[in-house]
Parts: sequence; structure tokens; C-alpha cells
Amino acid sequence: MPNIKIDGINIEAPKNWTVLDAAKFLGLEIPSLCYDPGLTAGGNCRLCIVEIRESGRSKIVSSCTYPVQEGLEVFTASKRVVNARKIIIELLVAQCPTSKTLQDLAAKMGVKKVRFMPKWDKCIYCGLCVRMCEEQMTGKAIGFTNRGYNLKITTPFDVTSEDCRRCGGCIYICPVCMARCEGTQPSEVLCGRCENSLQPTCLDIFDNYTCWMGLKGDCGTCITEKDGNNNDLREVKKNN
Amino acid sequence: MKKYNSVREFYNFMLSVSQEQKPDIPCIVISAGTCGQANGASDIARIIKRHVLEHNLHGRLSLRITGCLGNCQMEPFILIEPEDIIYPNLKADDVPQLVDAVINGRVAEDKLYYDPYSMKRCHAIKDIPFFRYQQSVILEKNQKVDPVRITDYFKTGGYSAFVKALFDSDADRIIVDEVTKSELRGRGGAGFPTGLKWKLTKEQGGGSAEKFLICNADEGDPGAYMDRSILEGNPHSILEGMLLGAMAMKATRGIVYARSEYPLAIKHLTIALRQAKEYGLLGKNILGTGLDFDISIIKGAGSFVCGEETALIRSVEGKMGQPRQRPPFPVKKGVWGYPTCINNVETFANIPVIINETAENYIKTGIEKNRGTKIFSLVGKIRNTGLVEVPLGTKIRKVVYDIGGGHPENKKIKAIQTGGPSGGCIPEKLFDLSIDYESLSQAGSIMGSGGMIVMDEETCMVDVAKYFADFLRDESCGKCSVCREGTQRMHEILTNITEGKGKIEDLQLLEELGNAVKDASMCGLGQTAANPLLSTLRYFKDEFIDHIIKKKCTAGTCQEIISSSCQYNCPIDTEAPVYISYIAKKKYKEALEIIKKDNPFASVVARVCHHPCERRCKANESGDAISIRNLKRFVTDFGLKNKLLLHVLPPKQKIDIKVAIIGSGPAGLSCGFTLAEKGYNVTIFEKHSVIGGMLSLAIPEYRLPQKILKADLDYIKSIGLDIQTNKSLGKDFNLDLLFKKNYKAVFIATGAYKSMNLGIQGENSNGVIHGIKLLTDIKLGKEVNIGKRVAVVGGGNSAVDAARSILRLGKSDSVTIFYRRTIAEMPAFKEEIEAASDEGIKIEFLTSPCKIISDKGKIKACEFIRMELGEPDESGRRRPVPVKHSEFIVNVDTLVVSVGEQPDTSFLQEEKIEFTKWGTIKINDETFTTNRHGVFAGGDLVTGPNTVIDAISAGKIAAESIQQFLTGKEVKRKYKLTRPSVYVKPIELSEKEQEQLFEAKRPKIIQHCAKDRKYDFFVIEKTLTEKQAEKEAKRCLRCDIMTKEGREFVEKDKIV
Repeated sequence: MPNIKIDGINIEAPKNWTVLDAAKFLGLEIPSLCYDPGLTAGGNCRLCIVEIRESGRSKIVSSCTYPVQEGLEVFTASKRVVNARKIIIELLVAQCPTSKTLQDLAAKMGVKKVRFMPKWDKCIYCGLCVRMCEEQMTGKAIGFTNRGYNLKITTPFDVTSEDCRRCGGCIYICPVCMARCEGTQPSEVLCGRCENSLQPTCLDIFDNYTCWMGLKGDCGTCITEKDGNNNDLREVKKNN
Repeated sequence: MKKYNSVREFYNFMLSVSQEQKPDIPCIVISAGTCGQANGASDIARIIKRHVLEHNLHGRLSLRITGCLGNCQMEPFILIEPEDIIYPNLKADDVPQLVDAVINGRVAEDKLYYDPYSMKRCHAIKDIPFFRYQQSVILEKNQKVDPVRITDYFKTGGYSAFVKALFDSDADRIIVDEVTKSELRGRGGAGFPTGLKWKLTKEQGGGSAEKFLICNADEGDPGAYMDRSILEGNPHSILEGMLLGAMAMKATRGIVYARSEYPLAIKHLTIALRQAKEYGLLGKNILGTGLDFDISIIKGAGSFVCGEETALIRSVEGKMGQPRQRPPFPVKKGVWGYPTCINNVETFANIPVIINETAENYIKTGIEKNRGTKIFSLVGKIRNTGLVEVPLGTKIRKVVYDIGGGHPENKKIKAIQTGGPSGGCIPEKLFDLSIDYESLSQAGSIMGSGGMIVMDEETCMVDVAKYFADFLRDESCGKCSVCREGTQRMHEILTNITEGKGKIEDLQLLEELGNAVKDASMCGLGQTAANPLLSTLRYFKDEFIDHIIKKKCTAGTCQEIISSSCQYNCPIDTEAPVYISYIAKKKYKEALEIIKKDNPFASVVARVCHHPCERRCKANESGDAISIRNLKRFVTDFGLKNKLLLHVLPPKQKIDIKVAIIGSGPAGLSCGFTLAEKGYNVTIFEKHSVIGGMLSLAIPEYRLPQKILKADLDYIKSIGLDIQTNKSLGKDFNLDLLFKKNYKAVFIATGAYKSMNLGIQGENSNGVIHGIKLLTDIKLGKEVNIGKRVAVVGGGNSAVDAARSILRLGKSDSVTIFYRRTIAEMPAFKEEIEAASDEGIKIEFLTSPCKIISDKGKIKACEFIRMELGEPDESGRRRPVPVKHSEFIVNVDTLVVSVGEQPDTSFLQEEKIEFTKWGTIKINDETFTTNRHGVFAGGDLVTGPNTVIDAISAGKIAAESIQQFLTGKEVKRKYKLTRPSVYVKPIELSEKEQEQLFEAKRPKIIQHCAKDRKYDFFVIEKTLTEKQAEKEAKRCLRCDIMTKEGREFVEKDKIV
């Protein structure tokens, strides 16, 4: 079993593990978007990037696709990694501000401003739905077409596919259309209120276990403005 | 053809082919690659064949049609062996006589290549600088090989490396060892050591599994075509390289992944494969040795990313061309999971060379870690475009200047872009950089496949970055978010900047974004996608800032910023396209209003301006530039004749704030006029008795008649200015007094009229006059003392004006101008110099006075010395250096010294104003404020002698600053995009008119002929006639409606 070092912690990982698997095993948090344990890893969203140092050279790779190798040294949150991640999440939020998943990630990473023009797209082309359809639902009804800025996910020749069984797997796994963020307005782009300033009030103590939905109040039914610490967001609110 | 089953038999056959006696007749080589054929090489071949048939010349010459030899600039050409004489840029009519010359053993001198530097015609191909400095190993073979004849390849020693290897039982180890020792690195761009890759592939699979060997011929860089030239010109060399690779790595299947855009390459390769199979060089049991290897061609559909190896593998498998992250590397898991080795075309072409020459000899070329030669495709703003093969480690300067021959029009080269869309721009100051993998990557670029695009001053670097961002946002596969979104955002921000909508924070964002894309992308495309952006940002940040803050595109290419280049290049933003289109519609009054809106000196400028507007006129690209100044003169003259807009209405609201302006030249008057227009109470102080500065005092009557000047001055005065003549600063008043008298702001524009001295012996002699003083005296009608033989020293406008004025006085027999450099460096306007020569004024170039010989205090003669041009000085002009012992004496009665003027600042010494080390006033370049509160300065006083239009511009800018100052705002220059104030509907041309305008020539202006005009001061050029003006105005291409805003206007207009 290859011996690798993640953020200074040594771990002997099984041969077929990826760096992300090993990091998760250690409880290290690497944000990821297009990774799902039930699907093959694509490395599309690039959020799970980590820095790898091997024989004096350093490079940045996506941890979900990088197999563990003997002697690997991994840094999950080096400055280079964090900076790149911030830009990536900024790009993704600007592309699709209505995704709650993205807004939460942006808030967690401390992104304060989106400097790109919002696109208000409905897809971030992470490819989860394509993989879901092919691998779990054995449907192969949808796939990527075109490339570059014309890239889109669609059925063959843009006509209703006979392979599609309307199972809804694609919608279930989509980080954009399933959990929608209703907070963002066209002028703001960045929301992040769920993560930053709103906490559930339906319970005195709340965490993933006590909230009956395991959502830390993300359901939105019981939330009000949080008192105290997060000042700048409150200010933004006041201004509005 | 016989299929050989034994290596020995095949070897004997090859020997017999290569030892065949060549008949002793000349051979004509025609290069007919795709590029040659596009230039008409096939026609040349056809003509030669027909000529041979018609004249029965069989057996007296042979013909070989080959692939590209690299010299694109000379296409179509023929090359005569054995002497290697080249006849470039052939026309079909020349061909028969050249064929006859070849047969008769003659050389057609006048059709040979002409080298503009040595100014000689070059006989052999090696005499031409383009070929002389190259070291050709791979490309050279193209000349000897007809790509569809395998026997030609045998004759150049082809397949001998392969046969040599077949004789050796230990060949696989030897080949890998040799390639490793040769230090060959992948020629596709990344530079991975080929030997190492082969060793890794060899170790895979235990020898029994299938292994793939792929030749990556997906050459997608814009402007790079070296792989194509090898595939087209010498396909067997690739096959031999692949065969050697297959032997070494025990590969079983070969694939050439070629672009379907290369039909000729695919055709030649298909023929080569068939031939090799027929001889038993490919397929099962190669030459009876038991080796199995077959090659097939797979055509790529033209996606740039498919040149990346993991995407290429997916494409070969028939899937969407998207890369995946490595590891696993293709050598472990490649096509359908089998070990796969992928090398570039050029890498394979190098393999037979290494095996034949041995690695020890191969590493003699190039520098450490970078061995061998590399082919570059040199394109862009360069004299000799084409394929260039040089050893790695050659300096960029050598490639650009020695081989490439520099800029075709001798303009300044700004940068070179290497490595295509994944590479970066390297500025001229780094041209001493050695071309190797490490140096280029340190400079922020990459070797890439070897594209080199040369850029000159007319290339906007922001636009270049935008172009590549556009290419990449289209070619990115879109799989990984950071590359897909990142390239789109780069393009979006860069587009904003080129449209003048950029913000200064964008630069920071671009840099962050570029670095993130570079770091976090999945494949090579994304990791290098930011290079064009980051390198231009690194070396040309000023241009980005100019675009954002000053709304300025120095190269003049960003349409949305410059709108129309005539308006953009005018220092005072005169809306040339608008008044031109009014002239085309015969709306002369409207045209005049537009001109006078920005320029109180309309009539003056229409005569004496150096018209920067015409310099970059779009019409110039296909014919003559529009004669903009003459059109303006037509309108202003029309106005004078019909008494239109002779006066201006004083402003309705007066502001009771006093502003003093010192100096009544174009700068002072335009500043005063602009302020008075706003209602300020302006007083102008003038030292002389007349106002107008140099316009009244120095520009000769024949260029600017007094009555025209008076018309403009009257126009300016009509706004209501308090003009006080014979009032001199420092003598009659000082700045303190002005402020005491309640003047709130002062603008000093006293010009540059102090003549510079020669600094030679005898300069104080009687008969030595300064140019400006002479011109002033003539203009004011004073008596001037001029002798019979006159010499004028200097090369500026005042020197030429002085010479021509003296001629007109009619007192002298001969007038000669002596200038120390050549005509190319002469600062006077070209048309003035021409006119002076026409009138019989002699101009002696490269001469400089060194002593004045006088008799009893009066000048008798002047001693001159010859000069030659040396190294360029800081102004970019080449410095004149005296030639020893070349002194000569010229007898003169009058010597006019006109070697430049400088501002006189002596009267300002007491005024608490800061000066520069050159003695001029120190001002803020953008706002024209001096260190003293409320004091502004501009015009020639600050810049030294300059043009009229620049002085007017200075006055207007100062007026704006003064206004900001007086209203208590922050004094800050406002920059805005060049836009016309109104859009005029384009005129519709009838078919007949279109035909007429097609000739695109300027109207011929009637001139007072040189023979007669030299006796008087009458104006030389006549105004355009109405018909001429209308025709000329219709020729305008209307760049102003090419912007988004302009197009919107046209669209809206159509609907209405």
C-alpha cells in the first residue's frame, strides 16, 4: 500500500484510492462539486484541486482523479490552491448565481465579490448528469456536444431521446437545478446568506444531527437573521 | 515492385538504386507543397512540360516536383540543380525563356534573387541570407525527394538506418540508447525527453501485449506549418522514424493522426504507406525478420485540443476529443488501455538522422539540454516569411533579422509571438534570448510546435491577447470549468478593454484569472492558455493602461477606441469623417460648423497642417489616402467666399473671472478662445505689435497668406477678447502683478523662437542671419540684406521656408540647403522639400559647417565637412559622424542658420516657476499645470518647436484644466473615446460612381508651376474645385460607422 503524506499527515492508502479518498478518510475537507462516490470521477469542476510536490516539483491536480502513489506529498490548502479555488468558484457563481450549492461554497471559501458579469446560466457543465445517466441509470440519453463556449449538455441531435426513461436521476444529482438559491438578485450575484448570516431558530441547538432534515437549517423554513459576528453581510443588507 | 523477404536482398536493391548513375543533365526542382500550389507551382510545372514537349527537349533536362523548401516569400520558384540556382517569384511568361537558359547552361541574371541588403543578385541558394544562416538537416532533404517516389528517398540514404538496425540483433536496446544519448526532446512543444519516453514504453506490457505508436500530426497552431511540410515533402522519413521506434519499443500498431485539413499530406502519406507495404517494409513479417508493424492514418476533424495526447487518444478511440488528467500516462494506459507512445512528426523525422549520424555527432548541434535543429515557421510582419531550420540555442535576433530580413518596410519590430496560442509574446528588447525550451519558458512563452509571428508597431498587443483568447475560448474542449469559463472571461474582459470600457481593476483580475487558469487546468491547453495574456501583460502593461485610462490604442487597430483613424489621430479631435460626409452631400455650411466647432484656426490649419489624419487613413491600404486637408481647405475657402461663419456670437452668460494669457500664438489664442466661449473674461498679452505668433511672423506668405490668417484671427477676436499688444512679460509686468490685478489664472504660451547657434568659429560675422529672424523680417516687410550666393544650414521646416523665401526675394543667384543627415531623416515636410527642389533649390545632404571664413568682419566663405551615418541616437535617427579630411570650402555671401529653435525662458527666471534640466518649464504632461498655483503653460514653450495643430491642442487642453481649476474641481485630464458628435447617413453611390471611385486616386491639385512661382509670394496650391471635392469626399470609407454605435445608427436609419 503506497504511503503518502497529506498536509503533513502520513497515511498508508489502498492502491485504488485517489488523493480525495485518502483526504476524506483523514477527515480533511476538500471542496468538491462534480465528485460523487457512486460515479467515476471526471475532474471537471476543478474545485477539489490540491498541490502535489514530487521530487522538488510542484503541480496542481484534481484530487478526485489523482491516484495515490508512493511518496506523494499533498497540500490541500496551500496558498496557490486556495487562490485558484477562489477564482474557480467566482467563475462558477458568475456563470450560475442561482445555485445554492455554489453560493454556499463561495461563502465558505470567503469569496466577497464576484468580479465577472453574471451570465445567469442554468448549467455549469460539471457532467454529473451525464455520468449519472450513463453509469447508474444505464440510460446514455444525454451527453456533451460542441466545445468551448458552445458546449452544452443535450440529447443526441437535440431531439427527445428514446433512451430516456424520465427517471429524473439527472435532476436529482444536479448541483444547480436541484438546490436553487432564491436569495440572489440580478444586482448582487453573490448571496451566501445561508452560510453566513442565517441560522435555524426552530431548535435551540442545531447541527446536522438535530435538524430533522440534516440540513443545518438549509431548508429555509425556520431561519431568521443571526445576531452578532457577521457584520459586513448585515451591512449589505441594511443598504438594501 | 517486388516484395522483399530478406533484409540482405532489400539492402542490395537499395544500394543498386542509390548507386544508379545520374545522367549529366540539369534538373529543375519545383516546390509544390500546398503553399507552392496555391502560388501557382502546378501551372509552372505544366508550362515547363508543355515547353519541353513542344520544343522536343526530351533527355536534356529532368524535372522534380518536391514538397515545400521553406522559402514561402519566393513562391513560385524553380531551382536548377546541380548549381542550385534559384529563380524566385516566377511569372508564367518567364518560364519558357528560363527553361531555354537552363538547357543552354546560361544564367538569367535579371531573374535571380535580389538581396536588398547587399544590393546584389544571388546566384546559388546558399548565397541568399535566408538560406545562408540556416542549418538545415530535416528540411534540406525535401529538395532531393519527390514525395511520391520511394526511390528518391532511397537515393538520399533513406531506410538505411532502418536496415542497419535490422541487421543488428540487439537493435531495440541500441536504438533506445542512441535516442537517449542524443538528448532529443519532443518537438511538439513540451520538450519531454524522447529517449526516456521510449524506454518507459519499452518496459511496458512485458513484450507480449499490443503497443501503439502514434505520430501526432495534428498541427493546429495558427501560422505554423512545419509538420505539414515534412509530411508533404518527405513522408518516408516519418515512416522510417516510426519503424525504428516500433523496433525499439516492440510496438505492433502505428497510427498517424493527421488533420483532415491537410489533404496533400494525407495523399502523400497514403502513397508512401502503400509503397512501403509493397516492398515489405510494413505489415506482417517485415523483410522476413518476423517483425510485425503496420501503420494506419486517422484523420482528425480539426479540433485544436486533439493535439493534446490524452484528447488525441480519445479521438483515436472514436470518442469526443476531451483530455483527461494524467496519471495514468499514455505510456501505461493509452489507446484502448494499451501502452501508447505519442511523438510529434518532427521528432520522428529526427530519428533516422540520429541513427545514421550516431548520437555523438548529433549532439554537436545545439546547446546543452537542447540538441539538434528545430524548424520554425516565421510569419507576420517580416520580409522573408517561411520555414526556418536552425540549431536550438540560436538567438531570436538572428532568426528575425539575419534570416527573416527584418521588417518588410523597415519599420520597428515590436515583439515576436512564439508557440502559437499556447505561447507568449517576447518583446524586442529580449531578442538576444536563445531559442531553447528553458529560456522561452522563463520569458513566459513556450517553444510549442515552432510558430513565430513577428509583430510591428502597428500591432496592438491587447488585440493580440484578445485574438488568442478568442481562439482558445472556441478551442477549449469545455470539460474543465476553469479553462472553459476562464478563457471566456479573459476574452470578455479583453474585449471590454479594446472597446475602451475597461477598468483599471481589470488588470489585477486578468492576472489572477490567468494564473488560476494556468495552475488549475486539467490539460496542456488550459495550462498554457493564459500565456498570451500573461506575457503581454508582463511586457506591454503600458498599452493596457493606455487603453483603459487614456482610451488610446497606440497601434491604431482597436476599432471601438479609434472609431475613425483620421479623427483619432487629430490632436484636437476634428471630426473629419463628419465634415467629409457633409461635403459629399454638398452641405458645406454644416461641414464648416463641424470644423469650427473644434478648431478656431480652421482656415490656417487647412493650409499648413501636417495632416496626421491622412497618415493611417483606411483608403490608403487599397489606393491613396483621402486628401483630408484639401477637403478642409475647400470648405473653409467656401466659407470665406460666401461669408459663412466669419464671426462667432459672444457667450450669453459672462463669468466675471479674469484669466491672463501670455503669448498670442496658436496655443495662446485657442486657449483664450475656448475660455472666452465659456464666458470667462480673457486678456491676452503679446510682446509683438501683431498677434498670431509664428503664424504671423514666420510662416511665409506663399504658404499662409495674410488675409487667410486675418480671417481666422478676426473670427477668434469676435468672441470678445481683450488683446494687449506690445506688452512683454518680465518687462512690462510680471506674474505677481497679474495676480494682484485679480487675474485668477495665467496661461503662458510664449513659444520657441530663440534660434540656436552653430557653435563654430566666425558665427558673429556680418552676413550670418538666423532663419526665424529672416522670416520675420520678410513677413513684416522689413528690408533684409541678402547676398548673391546663399547657403542655408538646417533641415527643418524653417530652413526650407527660409530658402524658398530668399529665392522669392529675387536678390540671389543660388540658394543651397546644407543638411547633416540624409533626406530620410530630414524633419521638414516631404512636400515642402519636393517643392523646394522643384523651384531649383539645391540640397546638399550629409554635410555640416565647421568654420566660417570672413573678411573684415564680413562672411566670405564657409568650410563644410562631409558626414556619414553612424549608430542611432536617442531620437531613433542615425547619428551623423564626420568623415575625416573631407572638408571643402564654399563661397557664400549670406549664411542662414536654421538649425532649430528653443524656448526662451530668461524672462521667467524670477517668477518662482520650476524648470527641467533642459531649461524648459516643468509641467504636468496631462494637465499642463506648473508648480506655481494658478499658472499653466503649454505649446512650443514646453515642447520646443512643434506643429501648429499640436499648439492648438495644447491651448485647448490647458483651457480645460484652467476651467477645472477655476471652478474648484480637481484638475484632471478627461479622456474619452473618439466618437463623432453626429452620425451622417452614408451616401448611396450609383454604379457609375462606384466604378469611377474604384481607381481610388487623389485629385490632382492645380499648382502654380515651379518655374513661375519662385518669383513671388503667391500661394502655390489652388483649392479643390467643387466637383473634385465632392468626388474625393465620396471616396471616404466611413470608418466612423464601423463601430457598434455607428452600426446601430445605420441600422436604425434603415428601419426609419
